[in-house]
Amino acid sequence: MNEADLAKASRFEALVLPHLDALYNYARRLTRDPHEAQDLVQEAILRAARYFESFRGDEARPWLFRILRNSFRSGRRRDDPLLVPLDDERHHPEAGGDPEAQLIQADAKRMVDAALAALPVAAREILVLREIEDFSYRQIAEILDLPVGTVMSRLARARDALAVELRRREQGVVRLHPAMTGGRHGL
Amino acid sequence: MDCERCAGLVDLYLDGELPAGEAAAFEAALATCPDCTARLDERRLLRAALRGATYHAAPPELRAALRQGAWANAESAAGTAGTAGAAGSARPRQRMAPALRWAAAVLISVALGWAIGRYGPQPADARLEDQVVAGFLRLSASEHPVDVASSNRHTVKPWFAGRIDFAPPVLDLTTEGFPLVGGRVDVVDGRKVAVLVYRRSQHFVALYLWPGEAAATPVRATRDGFAIRRWGRDRFVLSAVSDIAGQDLDGFVAAFDRRLAAEN
Repeated sequence: MNEADLAKASRFEALVLPHLDALYNYARRLTRDPHEAQDLVQEAILRAARYFESFRGDEARPWLFRILRNSFRSGRRRDDPLLVPLDDERHHPEAGGDPEAQLIQADAKRMVDAALAALPVAAREILVLREIEDFSYRQIAEILDLPVGTVMSRLARARDALAVELRRREQGVVRLHPAMTGGRHGL
Repeated sequence: MDCERCAGLVDLYLDGELPAGEAAAFEAALATCPDCTARLDERRLLRAALRGATYHAAPPELRAALRQGAWANAESAAGTAGTAGAAGSARPRQRMAPALRWAAAVLISVALGWAIGRYGPQPADARLEDQVVAGFLRLSASEHPVDVASSNRHTVKPWFAGRIDFAPPVLDLTTEGFPLVGGRVDVVDGRKVAVLVYRRSQHFVALYLWPGEAAATPVRATRDGFAIRRWGRDRFVLSAVSDIAGQDLDGFVAAFDRRLAAEN
């Protein structure tokens, strides 16, 4: 291993390490599974290492997110239900869900986690990119390989869908809360 | 602006994607449109809810897995760098793809970084300094050096809630010649930290803060022409970085400390 390789390696490391948490969080939201998320991040970093030559040093974060997202997509078959895009008219989350699951979601954090997990992947990822990672529309367009106009409309639909999901769960929790129903027979 | 038009702008406004002129027009329209006001409020609640959702930090074993995983890759391609010679190299070394060869270098330096971070404080410190300088370069090169722009600390401090898991002390030092510009969140050593941004004439001073115990002796360093000071106060590690002269940065540190002591 020569000096140039070492220097490059440490540049690469400095580029990736600060974003490891964010990449993993994004991977978790994409896959909804800790093990898959770990594999996905690993794969993305190997890919990033391979493409590092072509990285022009502009913005590391969107670049890495884009690679991770492409790794996610290429690792799945086209007809995978996870890849079905958000309905272009309006997204109707399925009603229902078992009462036991709803009880577990009684606290707000879990409720939001669950509501997010119930959304199609197109909605989940755009919400994470915008609301958690604070990417601009232009950066999201770059990561998702979409026109900015589509980013705008998809984001608005994703927010609508999340609002519907949360409202539904909120009502579920209120309905199911023993203190509100006077006992567990409400289940 | 009719409601149909302003309804279409709610998300853009919320996301800071409206040009200044349009944002002002939107705000004016909002005052007369309860529906859009409600919609905007709901969007803000959604955002707060999402930011309150679980943030899955990378598990420590991910770093370890990366190390082992990449080694395994290098191994399958050409035998490990470490044992290739000793094992009589069943596969010739040159078959290791260049990318993998230096991927192996990444792993070595990561492993070294760990060992050094554990057993020798000096190089780990140097690493911190490099990251803080890199962060300062990012923010001073950015069109938006801060994510919350306000000289009012009562605006800046609550902004951090939900973005990081601690409440940093936020002080305005306008009277000391360092007006507060705002705040942002950055990542140092893989953890989210608070950054307070101050201005000194045409220059920025970035103050990185995170909970922890700083070394007993404050650190004074220079990296690529940037002055850095790191010290500890109230169980926070504070690291100030700027392109102003070192003695001016000392003035900043002293002013911050004085103000903080006066607060307590």
